[in-house]
Amino acid sequence: MTSLPLAVSFEAFTNLGFWSGVLVTAGIYAVVALGLQLNVGYTGIINFGQAGFMAVGGYSMAILVLEAGLSFWLALPAAVLITMAFGVLIGLPSLRLRADYFAIVTLAMAEVVRLTAQNARGLTGGNKGLYCEFEGVNQTCFDDSWRSVSEWMLGVVENFWSDPEPLLPLLLVIWATVAIGAIGLGYVQKTPWGRVLRAVREDEDAARALGKNTLLYKLQSLAISAVLGAFAGFFLALFLATIHPDDYEPIVTFFAFGVLILGGLASYRGVAIGAILLWTLLEGTRFVELPISEEKTAALRFAIVGAVLIGLMAFRPQGLFGKREEMVLGD
Amino acid sequence: MATEAANGGALLEVEGVVKRFGGIRAVDGAGFDVAAGSITALIGPNGAGKTTLFNAITGFQRVDRGSACFAGEEILRLPAYAIARRGMVRTFQITRALAAMPVIDNMTLAATDQPGERFRNLFFRPGAVRSREREVHAQAMELLEVFNLGDLAADYAGTLSGGQRKLLELARALMTRPRLLLLDEPMAGINPTLGRRLLDHMQRLRREQGMTFLFVEHDMEVVMNHSDRVIVMAEGKVIAAGEPHQVREDPAVIDAYLGGPA
Repeated sequence: MTSLPLAVSFEAFTNLGFWSGVLVTAGIYAVVALGLQLNVGYTGIINFGQAGFMAVGGYSMAILVLEAGLSFWLALPAAVLITMAFGVLIGLPSLRLRADYFAIVTLAMAEVVRLTAQNARGLTGGNKGLYCEFEGVNQTCFDDSWRSVSEWMLGVVENFWSDPEPLLPLLLVIWATVAIGAIGLGYVQKTPWGRVLRAVREDEDAARALGKNTLLYKLQSLAISAVLGAFAGFFLALFLATIHPDDYEPIVTFFAFGVLILGGLASYRGVAIGAILLWTLLEGTRFVELPISEEKTAALRFAIVGAVLIGLMAFRPQGLFGKREEMVLGD
Repeated sequence: MATEAANGGALLEVEGVVKRFGGIRAVDGAGFDVAAGSITALIGPNGAGKTTLFNAITGFQRVDRGSACFAGEEILRLPAYAIARRGMVRTFQITRALAAMPVIDNMTLAATDQPGERFRNLFFRPGAVRSREREVHAQAMELLEVFNLGDLAADYAGTLSGGQRKLLELARALMTRPRLLLLDEPMAGINPTLGRRLLDHMQRLRREQGMTFLFVEHDMEVVMNHSDRVIVMAEGKVIAAGEPHQVREDPAVIDAYLGGPA
């Protein structure tokens, strides 16, 4: 093992479990990055707070189920509305700021959310996280309803696949969301509404001079992105079967930005493909065997991904699917 | 030429506008009227406060004091977009073409009454959005033809020359069908042939649609030959206002331009 530098075991790549894990993670990041694409690629507002919206969505859902006793299916739309309202609340004062200051505010917001979750133990379980509540022998978990649906779906699949991958139902739901999100956003982007967003990205003053209430459009853009963040938060909670403050660190947002850069600005299709590529790269490099310690290999994985992103910036700044004209043309 | 146009009352009445930047009074109590249907020029030496005043009355700059009535309504505390929607639309001294958008999208963006600019209408009134979009597209192409930009409709605005961008910005402002158009140095940076086209078009819009114009300009020939009224600013104040030939002979104006004793 140690004699061969750079040995790669390809076994993992034929392993279904590996791919379903990669695709679920990639799908969650694709949902996050769809919102970022709308904000950064089409509206010109730099949102570093997606992890915060994910946390608000995930925690709201779990708290509504576990503490308020709401049904999972009611908790989902309620959590979406809460996250959307939270996005508007954050955006209302901060979207008047210049783009770079707004970015700082969103980053701070996400950290405030995470640290609040870490410390409001009564509500969020603090560092123990949230999963199940016990009442005597009865146990309620926030994902009970989802697991029964998941089992039902697996039962259907078993008719033609004897030993289905347990993550398959979640994977299908996540990628259905990505597809609906990408198609829906692609549609609204081509409408007069989407045109105003692009005008805001290009030159907010010019848009205002033509009678467009630019703050309203930026708020709508942020609210939609917050909703997508909430969905990603639900999926992450269902995937990990727990909600823990550590899963909403700023790195989550920055991985989503990695997806955005890889896929290219101003392309929703790029987001989906960028997410798969980034996570294949991140998870695939796990299996590169080097004559160094495991911790060093783990650190090296991120270095490799970083190098790929830098190389992309140097040789194809528009990303894989981005439009070069929309990046280089300026006044 | 064209002195009879100032027929109606004042469309825009500006009074006592003050705008300070630190200790400097960029606009220091300026006031003037723009008559409905007129072509009014705003002139003055560099640093007289013309652009600041423009920004102030169009809502792009908060003022310290003063008032501005457009069509009988106080507008000075309204946000910029609300002023534009009331029919007072501006262009910028440095062109603001939306570079990474096609020329045609620059134009259609500016159209008013497009239900498709409201998010919910995209899903509840898609038919109305589409039919309005067709009208808007036709209007936009018509206007682009007038400004010789028809062939460039599909190109990104960022690929246009400086002069073409200037024309695009004017055409785009006209898409809003304004009652009063404020032009900040419309002739700067475009060749004389295009400049003539632009002036002819201004005259025609005023004649045919009763549109009113207020423009900042440095080219005295343009100012003297194409405006009904001239407002002269110096050091943040309006020092003279009247018909071109009156203003030209006003000693205060000559002083301001030639730097005579104050």
